[in-house]
Amino acid sequence: MARASADSQPVSSGNLLTVLVSLAVVFLLFTAFLGAVKSGDVYTEQNLLYAALILYGAATALYLGFGVTGIPRYVHVASIATALGFLFNTLAVGHRWYISGHPPFSSIYEMLLCFVWTLAALTIFVERRYHVQVIGTVTMPLATLSVILIQLLPSAVRPLVPALQSTWLHIHVSLAMLAYAACAVSFALAMMFLIQDRIRTETFLAATSAFLVSVYIGIASRFDPSGGLRLIAWDAQGKQEIFFTEKARLMVVIPELGWMFFLVLAAVLAPLVFYFWARLNKVESAMIWANRAFFVGALLQVVGLSAFILRAREGVYHSPQVEGTFATSLAASPFILAGLIGGLFASALYLLLLWRRPDLERMLPAEETLDVLTYKTIGIAFPLLTLMIAAGAYWANRTWGSYWSWDPKETWALITWLVYAGYLHMRITRGWRGRRAAYFAIIGFAVVLFTFFGVTYLLPGLHAYA
Amino acid sequence: MSEKQSLAHKLWKTFSSVATGIVLLILVVIASAAGTFVLQRPITEPEQMQRAYSPATLRWLDATQLTDVFHSWWFVALLSLLCINIVLASIERFPGVWRYFSRPYRRPDAHFLTGLPLHAEIPVRSTQSGVAAAERAFRRLGMKPQHVGGDGNFSLYAERHRFARLAAYVVHLSLLLILGGGIVDAVWGYRGYMSLTLDGQSSEIDMRDGTKKPIPFTVRCEGAGQENYADGSPRRWWSRLTVLENGREVQRKEIEVNEPLVHRGLRFFQSGYGSTGEVGSIRLLAVSKKTPADSREIVLHPNETVALDAEHSVQFTAFVPDMVINGGRIESRSDQPNNPAIQLSVASKQAGESKMWLFANYPDFSHPSALPYDFKFQDLAMGYFTGLQVSYEPGQWAVWAGCIVMGIGLVMAFYFVHIRYWAVPVDDGRGRLMLWVGAAASKNREQFEECFRKLVKEIEQELQANATEERHTKSVSLVNA
Repeated sequence: MARASADSQPVSSGNLLTVLVSLAVVFLLFTAFLGAVKSGDVYTEQNLLYAALILYGAATALYLGFGVTGIPRYVHVASIATALGFLFNTLAVGHRWYISGHPPFSSIYEMLLCFVWTLAALTIFVERRYHVQVIGTVTMPLATLSVILIQLLPSAVRPLVPALQSTWLHIHVSLAMLAYAACAVSFALAMMFLIQDRIRTETFLAATSAFLVSVYIGIASRFDPSGGLRLIAWDAQGKQEIFFTEKARLMVVIPELGWMFFLVLAAVLAPLVFYFWARLNKVESAMIWANRAFFVGALLQVVGLSAFILRAREGVYHSPQVEGTFATSLAASPFILAGLIGGLFASALYLLLLWRRPDLERMLPAEETLDVLTYKTIGIAFPLLTLMIAAGAYWANRTWGSYWSWDPKETWALITWLVYAGYLHMRITRGWRGRRAAYFAIIGFAVVLFTFFGVTYLLPGLHAYA
Repeated sequence: MSEKQSLAHKLWKTFSSVATGIVLLILVVIASAAGTFVLQRPITEPEQMQRAYSPATLRWLDATQLTDVFHSWWFVALLSLLCINIVLASIERFPGVWRYFSRPYRRPDAHFLTGLPLHAEIPVRSTQSGVAAAERAFRRLGMKPQHVGGDGNFSLYAERHRFARLAAYVVHLSLLLILGGGIVDAVWGYRGYMSLTLDGQSSEIDMRDGTKKPIPFTVRCEGAGQENYADGSPRRWWSRLTVLENGREVQRKEIEVNEPLVHRGLRFFQSGYGSTGEVGSIRLLAVSKKTPADSREIVLHPNETVALDAEHSVQFTAFVPDMVINGGRIESRSDQPNNPAIQLSVASKQAGESKMWLFANYPDFSHPSALPYDFKFQDLAMGYFTGLQVSYEPGQWAVWAGCIVMGIGLVMAFYFVHIRYWAVPVDDGRGRLMLWVGAAASKNREQFEECFRKLVKEIEQELQANATEERHTKSVSLVNA
């Protein structure tokens, strides 16, 4: 009897979150619908995408809710939300294709749209076919973040410049999106493997925290005595840094941001202190505190990143060097931005590993199956990556008369390919299985992320269209 | 002597090992990444380099060739070592794989029978019936079994997708093809630029380093143009090109951005189109002051002279595309015909020469003059040029062949498995006759186990059906007796 009541309790709270999320979804959809009706156009791509975002967001919340509470029902509802979101996503892609008259592959906006679509499709496929029910916990936050990113990007349907009017381009980009989505799924499966494999998380905590501390110490070096953060001024028209003298870059100070990042630095330092405290004095409870501190640190990182993006994206600030105000831009501080996002990515990975194991185990196939599935997904991704690079080279050859020019995007596509080639060699000839293979798959996806976003925003090159 | 041999042996072992390959792969990755983070020489302007790095850093970067990673000797050396590693590793491992082709293991020996991870033993009545049942089961699963061994002592062997064993070699061969093509292009290939005015022709290309390279034929531009979208952004550029050899036309093609002209391995790509800043021709109206109804249209090319009547002639002497008066001097702001100004020189037998300006944007402006004509600007045609990217890449075919071969190789590697089945009648050591069934797969073993279980079940069913049939036949024969 006591057992029954213990069992029934989480189920009721399970209903609570489900109901809350459903209400939120209905409310958001309804307000969005009202707004759309007011403006007259209901079936626009924006609205469809907004609906997809709400549903993906709901799926993310439920999957994460499952991670915290371990209630199976969340996963079932999240799966339905994913499927519905996918439906809206499909409509949005179709709508855009119909309006523009060409497949939606010509700008980073459209590519992200297709990436999200493929990711959701693969998630649903792996979930149904291989019964990896909680795979959405990794892929859905990724999809949600991508859709949010989509909203920030310019979305106008622009006519294709002559260089982009090629079937080969469409082949190239669709292969890229398929390959990258497959990489994302292999990454999710590798994460699931690590969770199922019950790795010890302490070392991860130390490594992740050390990485975060180094990132934030680097950022804190830009601290201004007034409490602000010094950033390089940006000439939006010339798309370049502004130089104060021949060698010195002009800096602007964003007030208060310096203190903010000091706070984040302190927050990410705390888990490391707790960790060493736990190791040196053999205090187990300190580890729990380390994990709590890490969670707080992750939240503060999100706040820091948001503040940084919002304030550095647009706006003019005073410069300490000369009188007057100057603009800055995210493009002027690529390394800070990369550090912030990389740090958040690493934190998210660690938090995933902290999940309640026994509940998850029931939702996941055996470790060996996950290991083999990861390999199989890479077995899909790798040929796609190869063909993607070949199609891109062929297109470049027809357009610029050169199939390989070592521009950063090309080079990073090659690096991605080499990393996965390394994975395959280690696995096939050296028999790497399990954890080492999983780490390799995770590194591979980190490289994919860098190739996709990092190169576009941090490194200049020919792929200016993307 | 033996020490030397062992050193050679060690070297061979080192260079043919996968570990070396992985290390080289990591080094290539690091070098390539460095090449994307450090500003690279030919693309980045020298001034920008000097601004980005301090002189000491720049000296150091240049000395290590980190400012041009992808053309540095050490990057080429790294790629060459990787090639050598691939070749040696392939040679090292090839004999083992070739055995599957030269001597397929059709009849397993006793040692193999016990050692194979995936096998089963099924009791049978007779060798004949057991093998026959296995054969039917094999066929039902789409295999074509072979009979191995003589009468009374024969067994079955079946295999599928033997070629999948070669997948790794196919992929590595394709890699060598691609790299080989790349090397050929790096050594013998070149890229340049050719700029042609409309009706212009040329038989040399401008190389990156500023020199001119003659080509064995002449390219003439018959026309070129740009089409725009409604919002003014370019939709299409095109050029009609004719190839002339010894004055004879040998090829003609209208090229556009993704559609080059190819002649003798040289490819001409549409890469630019624009105004040369020079004028092609202007159209004027010359109105007689005496009889204003008597006006005539004249078309003038630069420096061309046209007679107006027996006494007067007009010459087109100067053109400013985007005129602006700067400190009393006439200058051009750009090459675009935004504010064209035209200078005419009118020669009169009595009054001599007099110069005047016409402005396309201000047609009513006119010089007060004693000449018997007024000139009204009508229209002008700017001179345009088409920019052609020229490239010669004799190795590209190896690269494309390599890409196709690699695609085939990867499909072989990931989606085909070499599987082998054996069915051998054996004695289980206690006098019972058994059918030993074994199977091996080159990869994907987990999934393959299921297939094997299915095969064993099929054979067992066949045997059962057989047995019932036999009993049935027996009973029938009994009845007949």
